[in-house]
Amino acid sequence: MSKPIPLLEQIGKDGRVWADLCEEYGVDNPDPPWRITLESTCEVLNEGACVLPSLERRDEEDDIVEDHYKHIPHPERQLLALAHTMILRGVITEEDLAQHMKVIEARLNAV
Amino acid sequence: MSSNHHAEKATGIGDPQCFKGEAGDPKFNVGDRVRIRNLPDIFYTRSQMYLREAEAVVVKLVYESPPAEDEAWDNTDSPEWFYSLLFKQTDLWPDYPTKYAGDTLETELSERWLESV
Amino acid sequence: MSNSHDHDHRPPAPMVDEVSDFEVLEVAVRELCIEKGLFTQDDHNEWTEYMHTLGPLPASRLVAKAWLDEDYKQLCIDDPVKASLDVGIDWINTMPTKFGTPSDYCNPRILVDTPTLKHVVVCTLCSCYPRPILGQSPEWYRTPNYRRRLVRWPRQVLSEFGLQLPEDVEIRVADSNQKTRYVVMPTRPEGTEGWSEDQLAEIVTRDCLIGVAMPRVDRKADDKRPIHRAVHPFGH
Repeated sequence: MSKPIPLLEQIGKDGRVWADLCEEYGVDNPDPPWRITLESTCEVLNEGACVLPSLERRDEEDDIVEDHYKHIPHPERQLLALAHTMILRGVITEEDLAQHMKVIEARLNAV
Repeated sequence: MSSNHHAEKATGIGDPQCFKGEAGDPKFNVGDRVRIRNLPDIFYTRSQMYLREAEAVVVKLVYESPPAEDEAWDNTDSPEWFYSLLFKQTDLWPDYPTKYAGDTLETELSERWLESV
Repeated sequence: MSNSHDHDHRPPAPMVDEVSDFEVLEVAVRELCIEKGLFTQDDHNEWTEYMHTLGPLPASRLVAKAWLDEDYKQLCIDDPVKASLDVGIDWINTMPTKFGTPSDYCNPRILVDTPTLKHVVVCTLCSCYPRPILGQSPEWYRTPNYRRRLVRWPRQVLSEFGLQLPEDVEIRVADSNQKTRYVVMPTRPEGTEGWSEDQLAEIVTRDCLIGVAMPRVDRKADDKRPIHRAVHPFGH
């Protein structure tokens, strides 16, 4: 079983999933707006550099979800599994990701 | 590993259409009985474990293509014929209920995986 | 903020007014990938535009047309790429990579049900799916639960989807492990005599085209699926 990644564990624990957001705001879109861009990221990783070939990623995603994100709904779990795979493979680091998230959060929340 | 290796070859024609005519004569025909060989998987395969050593009937010659086992390593030099094969579920699973003995499974394999029965 | 709402006196549509950690994470992963040169923003945009086009189902119309026209039905069997063009889908030229996506390829196959033959589709290896003509796959289709169990216990899985078939109907599972992508053409239900192509297409839902449901005159939308854990998991 792979080790948990603290940053992702925390997001899984504290992050608000789309279903909850919908309920609070009275929105009935079945999917969060980032679902399609996430799918595109997965697809475009298959091409070109073939960094994360589809078949391997799917198997790894299944195992990672089973080990760490079983309790989290889709598509949030797919997102966490992708980030987890990429950190495990050394494509990105947990520190980089945390740092980037701070920058983006500030940017998205700026008025 | 790049999946764009045959991008130029396939543009406007399609994959697997772009390999048409490259596999030579097919070894098997529709109606032939075959057995699935249990070849060793070196690194990568798209031949399911549950099919190994089972018998099937060829129901369609579907297309010519480099086998996935070669394509994964960018080797597209030797396309093979791909066959759609029909299996009886009772041949695949020891505990498949005999009252549903008519149930079947269809899937595709390239020629290297097949031997005559 | 626009003032249009003042004019038509309708309240603005509700929207989620906060940025979740997941939304931030998605952007972060994507931007890091671009920064590291794993793909470009343009590549990503091209895919996103394509994904947005995968909406309601050309495959539903293909089935409806086939039900109404025996010649078209034969074309669906003999040349599915050509038949797809008639419902606006070009397997060869319109995908982002221009020759089929790496995972969709260009070999659709229509599996024709009969009263004694029921097809159902799965990809045990990774969840391949005929996206160009059927849109994005449903989540349950991609789960290990479905992928591992359908090949081995098809009748059990189908009954969990609400579909039970008698012994004299052959259930044929199609496992799309190579370049072919399958679409099921179910049998036309009774009670649809005189229906138009549009009316027929409406009842051919996505689940019918995968094969886990049969079209019904009273159903135009798929049921919501709970996700069950695999009871009999196995490796392949």
